[in-house]
Amino acid sequence: MRPRLGFSPGLRAQLALVALTLLALPWAGYRYVKEMERFLLEGQEQAQIATARAIATALNGRPQLMRLQPAIDSELRKEAEAELQQLAAAHGQTPAPAVGAAAAAPSESREIARESAPHEQVAEIDAILAGLERSTARIWVVNRDYRVLALAGSLKRPEAAAAPDFWQKLLGLLIKRPTEDFDAAIAADVLATGREIAGALQGTPGARVRNTPDGRAVVVSAAYPIWNGEDVLGAVVVEETTNSILSVRSKALERLLLVTLAAFAIAAAVLLAFATRLSHRIRRLRDEAESAIDARGRLTTRIDAGSDARDEIGDLSRSFSTVLARLSQHHAYLESMASRLSHELRTPIAVVRSSLENLDLQPLPGEARVYIGRAEQGLARLNTILTRMSEATRLEQGLAAQERERFDLAALVAGCVEGYRGAYPGHAFELRLPGGAIEVDGAPDLAAQLLDKLVANAADFSVPGAAIAVSVEREEEQEGRVARVSVQNQGPPLPDEMRGKLFESMISVRKERGGEPHLGLGLYIARLIAEFHGGSVRADNLPSGGGVAVSATFRLG
Amino acid sequence: MPRRIAIVEDDPAIRANTVDALKRHGYEVAAYADRAEALAALRVRLPDLAVIDIGLGDEFDGGFALCRELRALSPALPIIFLTARDSDFDVVAGLRMGADDYLTKDVSLPHLLARIAALFRRAELAREPQQAADVIERGPLRLDAQRLAATWRGAPVPLTLTEFWMVHTLAKFPGHVKQREQLMRDANLVVDDGTITSHIKRLRKKFQAVDPDFEQIETVYGMGYRWKAA
Repeated sequence: MRPRLGFSPGLRAQLALVALTLLALPWAGYRYVKEMERFLLEGQEQAQIATARAIATALNGRPQLMRLQPAIDSELRKEAEAELQQLAAAHGQTPAPAVGAAAAAPSESREIARESAPHEQVAEIDAILAGLERSTARIWVVNRDYRVLALAGSLKRPEAAAAPDFWQKLLGLLIKRPTEDFDAAIAADVLATGREIAGALQGTPGARVRNTPDGRAVVVSAAYPIWNGEDVLGAVVVEETTNSILSVRSKALERLLLVTLAAFAIAAAVLLAFATRLSHRIRRLRDEAESAIDARGRLTTRIDAGSDARDEIGDLSRSFSTVLARLSQHHAYLESMASRLSHELRTPIAVVRSSLENLDLQPLPGEARVYIGRAEQGLARLNTILTRMSEATRLEQGLAAQERERFDLAALVAGCVEGYRGAYPGHAFELRLPGGAIEVDGAPDLAAQLLDKLVANAADFSVPGAAIAVSVEREEEQEGRVARVSVQNQGPPLPDEMRGKLFESMISVRKERGGEPHLGLGLYIARLIAEFHGGSVRADNLPSGGGVAVSATFRLG
Repeated sequence: MPRRIAIVEDDPAIRANTVDALKRHGYEVAAYADRAEALAALRVRLPDLAVIDIGLGDEFDGGFALCRELRALSPALPIIFLTARDSDFDVVAGLRMGADDYLTKDVSLPHLLARIAALFRRAELAREPQQAADVIERGPLRLDAQRLAATWRGAPVPLTLTEFWMVHTLAKFPGHVKQREQLMRDANLVVDDGTITSHIKRLRKKFQAVDPDFEQIETVYGMGYRWKAA
C-alpha cells in the first residue's frame, strides 16, 4: 500500500486552487470600471469643450473686449497668481456669487483683470462668465498674449458632508477617493505649455488632461478659440477636475470590491462545504473498502457508503460492492472447499467401507483378509483426514453460536495439564501459574481445545523426553489486560519465514513422517479460539535458540 | 416373522451394501431411492424400522420431510438418520423431527446393526409389560439398559441411543473421569472432540428440561467428563 497522503486536504486544496479562477471576475469588473471611466472622461472633455465654445461664442466678434493690454510685468502676474489662490480658496467655501454681489465682495475672481483692463470691459466679460459659471468648473479667458483677462468659478467642489464610517475608511485604504484638498493654483507653465491653449489660439479647439501642481487631482482643461471674423482674439479655457468621475469610479470600485468579497465568501463556503462533503464521502468509502477485508483476508462487511447515490461516487461504491460480492463468493467457495470436499468424499468412502464390511462377512481365503485389513487401515486414515478437514470449518461455524460463560482459566489449565501427564507419558510437564483465579469470559471447552492444540504441537516438536512448560501470566497490553497461556518445548527453532504463517489454515512445518496425518489445522484452530476470546496467538523462538514458545492470549474483564 | 426395515438412500452402492448386510442378518429389507417412492410404499405398509438419508436426490432436506411424515403415520416407529451430513445444525434438526438416532456415514455396518438391534429391543420392551431388567440406579437417575430408557426423579428423559449410552458410560462409575475417546467408543460414535462436546451439551439440556437444577455431568478439562458422585 502506498503511504497515505492527507486525503481530504488534498481534494479541498485542489478545489481551492480551481476556485482561484474566480479572481478573473473582479479583474474583469475592474477593467469595466476603467473603461467606463475613460468614457466619462471623454464625455467630460466634450462637455467642457462645449462649454468653452458657448462662452467663446458669446465673446466672438468683440475685439474691443479682447484688446486689453494689461501691464506686462511679472510682478503683476505674480500678484494675480497669489490672488487667484486666495480666491480659489474662498470660492471653495462659498457658492458662486451673483453678479450684483460681485462688486461688494472684494475677493471676487472677476477682479483679477481689474488692474490691467478698463473697468467696464472687464465687467462685461465677468458678466458673461458669471452667466455661464458652474460651481465645479473654472473658466478663464485668455487673450492672444496669454494674458488672463477674466476668471470665474473654482475647481473645488463643496466637500461631501458625511464623515466616512469605518468601512469606508477601510475601503479607502484599498481604493483611493478623490480629494478636494489640492493645489488649485494655475502654475506658471500652464499657460505657456498648455497645448490646448496654444491650439485654441491657433484656432483649434482642444482638451488636455493635466495634474494639479501638487499631483493630488487631475484637471481636464478644454480651450476654445474666440473668433473675430477670421482672427483669433483669444481663448476660453474651461477647467474642471475629474473628481466627479473619480468619485463615481471609486464608488463603483467599492461596490465591486464588496460584491466580489461577498461572492467570494459565499462561493468559498459553498465550495468548502461541497469539497468537505465529497471528501467525507470518499473517506467513508475508503474506510469501508479497507475494513471490508480484515487482516486475515476475510470479507467482513458490505460497502454501503453512498451506494444509493446516483453520482460517480455512488457508482464507485456499487462497483466496490459488486467486486466484494464476487470476491466473497469466491472466498466462501474456497473456505467451504475443505468441508465440502470432506462431505463429498464421505459418500464414496461409505461405499468402500460398507463394501469392505460386507466382504469381511464372506468366507474368504486367508490372504484376502490381509488386504482387507490394509484397506480398512487406509480407510481409517482417510476418515481422520476428513474429520480434521471439517473440524476447523465446524469450529468457525460453531463460534458464532457459542455461548459465553465465566470460568477460571488457571484452574482449567491446571486440570488440562493434569490430563496431559496421562496422555503424553513420554513428556514431563512443568506448570507455572500466577496466584489466584483468572476469570475469563468465554467457552471453557474451547479454551481446553486450544490448549490441547498447543500441547499437541509442542509434543510433536519436542526433543524426546524433554519437559514441556505450560505457563499462565497476566499481561498489560495496549488494548487492555490479557492472560497469556504459553506452551514451551525444547526442540528445533522455527524457520523465520514460517513464523507469521504458522497460524494459517493448512500450514505445517512438520517433516513428513508416517502415522497420524497432519493438515496444519491445529494452530489455525488455536488462533480461531484465541480470537474468539478477544486475544491472539504468537510463536517465538526461545532466547536460548533451543526451543519454541507458542502462546495465546485471552482478554480479561 | 422377520422384522421389516425400510431404507431410504439415494446412493445405489451404499443402499445395496446396507441392504445386503441387513439381509444377511435376517432382516427383511425394503429399499427406496427417493422420498415420493418411499412415502407411497410406506403408507401402504409401515416397516418395523426406517433408516433414512437426509439428502435424497434433488431434495436437499428430503429426509427431514420424510421423517416428519413417517412420524405422523406412526409415533412409535423407530427412525434412524444415516447421513453424510455431520453439522450440529443437521443433528439437532434431525432429532427434533422425531428421529430416534442420528448416525453419520462414518459409522460401520456392525455399529449400524447394533443400533438397529438396540432400537428393536427398546421398541419391543416398551410394548411388553414391565419385567426384571438391567437397571442402573444412581440417586435420582434410573437407567434401563434393556429398554434403553432413562428417568430422572421418576420423569422420563427422552434420550437418543447415542445419548443413552453416553449417560450409561458416565453413570456406571460415578466420580470416574471418562475420556472423550472412551465415550465415543461406548456410544459407538466415530466423531471428533467437538461433536462429543455438543452431545454433552445437549444431554445437559435434556436433563435440565426435566430438572433445572441438574448439574450431575461435570467437565474435567483436559481429561473428559464424569458423573458426579452423589
